[in-house]
Amino acid sequence: MNGYKHTNLADGINLYYIPTDKFKTSTVTINIHQQLNKEKATFNALLPRVLARGTSKLQSFQDISRYLQELYGTVFSYGVKKMGEDHIIHFYFDIIDDRYVNESESLFKCVMEFAKQVIFEPLIENNGFKKEYVEQEKQNLKNSIQGLINDKADYAVERCYQEMCKNENFGIYELGRIEDIEKINEKNLYEHYLEVIHSSPIDIFVIGSVPENMARETVHRLFGIQSDKKRVYPSTDIITNVGQVKKVEEPMEVTQGKLSLGFRTKIPAKDKRYYSLIVFNSILGGGPHSKLFNNVREKLSLAYYVFSRLERFKGLMIISSGIEVTNYQKALDEILAQMDEMKKGNISEAELNAAISSSVNNIRSLTDSAYYIADYYLGQLVGNTEDDFEDIIKKISAVTKEDVVAISQNIELDTIYFLKNKD
Amino acid sequence: MNLQERYDSVLKESLYHGVHKSGLKVYVLPKKGYSKSYAMFATKYGSIDNQFVVPGEQEVTSVPDGIAHFLEHKLFEEEEGNVFDRFSRLGASANAYTSFNITAYLFSCTNHFYDNLNILLDFVQNPYFTDESVQKEQGIIGQEIRMYDDNPNWRVFFNFLAALYHNLPVKIDIAGTIESIGRINKDILYKCYNTFYHPSNMILFATGDIEPEKVAEYVGNSIKAVEPYKEEIGRIYPEEPHSIAQKKVEQNLSVSIPLFQAGFKDTDIGYGGKKLLKKDITTQILLQMIMGSSTPLYQSLYEQGLINNSFEFDYTAEKEYGFTVFGGESPDPERVEQEIKNEINRLLNTGLDRTEFNRIKKVNLGRFLRMFNSVESIANNFISTLFKDIDLFDYIDTYHSITFEDVEKRFIEHFKPDNMVLSVIRPFEQ
Repeated sequence: MNGYKHTNLADGINLYYIPTDKFKTSTVTINIHQQLNKEKATFNALLPRVLARGTSKLQSFQDISRYLQELYGTVFSYGVKKMGEDHIIHFYFDIIDDRYVNESESLFKCVMEFAKQVIFEPLIENNGFKKEYVEQEKQNLKNSIQGLINDKADYAVERCYQEMCKNENFGIYELGRIEDIEKINEKNLYEHYLEVIHSSPIDIFVIGSVPENMARETVHRLFGIQSDKKRVYPSTDIITNVGQVKKVEEPMEVTQGKLSLGFRTKIPAKDKRYYSLIVFNSILGGGPHSKLFNNVREKLSLAYYVFSRLERFKGLMIISSGIEVTNYQKALDEILAQMDEMKKGNISEAELNAAISSSVNNIRSLTDSAYYIADYYLGQLVGNTEDDFEDIIKKISAVTKEDVVAISQNIELDTIYFLKNKD
Repeated sequence: MNLQERYDSVLKESLYHGVHKSGLKVYVLPKKGYSKSYAMFATKYGSIDNQFVVPGEQEVTSVPDGIAHFLEHKLFEEEEGNVFDRFSRLGASANAYTSFNITAYLFSCTNHFYDNLNILLDFVQNPYFTDESVQKEQGIIGQEIRMYDDNPNWRVFFNFLAALYHNLPVKIDIAGTIESIGRINKDILYKCYNTFYHPSNMILFATGDIEPEKVAEYVGNSIKAVEPYKEEIGRIYPEEPHSIAQKKVEQNLSVSIPLFQAGFKDTDIGYGGKKLLKKDITTQILLQMIMGSSTPLYQSLYEQGLINNSFEFDYTAEKEYGFTVFGGESPDPERVEQEIKNEINRLLNTGLDRTEFNRIKKVNLGRFLRMFNSVESIANNFISTLFKDIDLFDYIDTYHSITFEDVEKRFIEHFKPDNMVLSVIRPFEQ
């Protein structure tokens, strides 16, 4: 891949520099990889929230906020996300380019100085994090985990994955588990933190018009930290044997039902057939050109939204839709009928072409967002693939109908989840 | 059609503008090096336009709630199928949305921009409604309405508006109700279409790595050579008192923790242009000075666990209405409301802080510059402000003109406790 310039800053710590002057800002993302498992997930989710509360120099929200406001409102966000069973603690900074403002100091350098403080110089009291911050963030994390229910569409997707992968690490919610929150305190979270920063691979992306030398020197000076421990990338298990289809119904006070179907594609990201899978998914449910949109919505008026989506790292696919509760069977039958059409090869040339063009359009569009560029390359690292934007476009464009039909035989229904009203 | 260029040396961007003989306003903002190009064709017609007088007619036409949104859905249908198929063939991604004030049709693509532009201009100019397709859409939009009924963020906002306004249709759901859309038929759709989709009521905005002259040429070839409206569409909005409709509104939904939105009704309304832009920026700065993450109020509410990082605030500036809104999740929304009132009273006594003002002003410039990173943000922001007679290339000058005294004045006149409402969504009792 030559879309970025790679510098190894220390063992397991990498800088990826992507020069471009098309944005008004420079974007930095810092990604810390942890193996997703139930012992650590809740600790990982809490950690960035506590780190963002105060550093050794900027000890409160207010201090941090004032510092960033002086720098023209640098955007600072943080959290955790899952890429397969890689649990990534991430930080994001979006910094106005020096050429648009009159400041004596480089905003980029100031922000990177701050980023280093957040990650490596937290506010410590008595060999632990500040107790009040930890307790407040524990409550906030608890609210966030419980708050999943507030968006029923997201809830129905996440719950389907959770039921489907009940006995796998992927079934753990990215924000962790309510039952583990109480066990966490300022001391054991700090111990976890030390473990994380000394043993996790860290990938840093810098995208923008910052000169290469400045980017490299600054990041190297601040983040080139050697460790005695080996920083090892997490891995993801892909399940290939599917038993009987699981059926889960959950009653709740809702007016609209949400139907989610979880499938196993059994195709890892680095498999050559993954490109066929992209096209398969696009024909089935990847937009207004898809079979699901045109049949479930346009022909039968059963839904306003219906889509299919891949979880590339874990080899999963999900179909989800909001329907009238009484239309459950009708909608399920139609979705499965469309799945069958795919397997039988009832795919027109127009459908294949629209799916390829739409996928190519989606990928090329990523290059207009610094965040998505970083996220794309991070995905390449996690998935062990080396496709630059134009590489993947080329591979998708070469997919044939036969490839799509072949890959469809691999895809197996695992779980049917239905969120419905209370009787 | 001739295009005028306006260059901004701070932004380092150019905006091209021209008016087609039909009255259509055309804007192009080139973004060199972008993969994606984006075009938006929009009409000044939204959910609040449910009573109007067609130019040339005398009597008032009243239409069912939700019709602007319904029309937006139906315009995608053609005699020969569906517009999405035409865009899909060229790999473009098309969409549309309806707000209180506008309906916008858009596409983004990384190839064949001018062919896609042709499709956009063509389908929006050629409606095709049948009784059968209207009926089919009632089912789809019915599910969209039901989806919003279950969406606490949507409900908390519309309940908030219903508390704020006595009569203004901004209080009504954009999609209408299952009952109101049941009264829509093809004849009413055509009447609304013929009234509001006249080129002189519309704007085309395009951005991306594209050539302004070529956009003008395509517009010239595609837009029908009709005469501009000689008189304005009569938009009839009900009389709206300065007071709020009710102090508080509550609803139960399946949520884990209460959600709330509170805010102030603006009574200084009735104008657009630079004056509106200045009020908008001033109010945004002010809100940040009162309750932004750098303030003592935010710090205190956060540390007491009364708010979390879902807390947000915003100001909406339209010609016909305006309001400040803030909210998020809270175990005790009434306490938050009380503490915000107390802080406003305290600041009214002690005065606002001038150093806060200078620092927070910078944030707003940063946010404005950042908007130019994304073709979607550019088009969305320009379209919605152009219909209010605001040209965002005036932003930086207007921004610089805002003084601490402007903010103080706005503070006293807008944050009136009598004009504050609270909307709460609570979990069902177990």
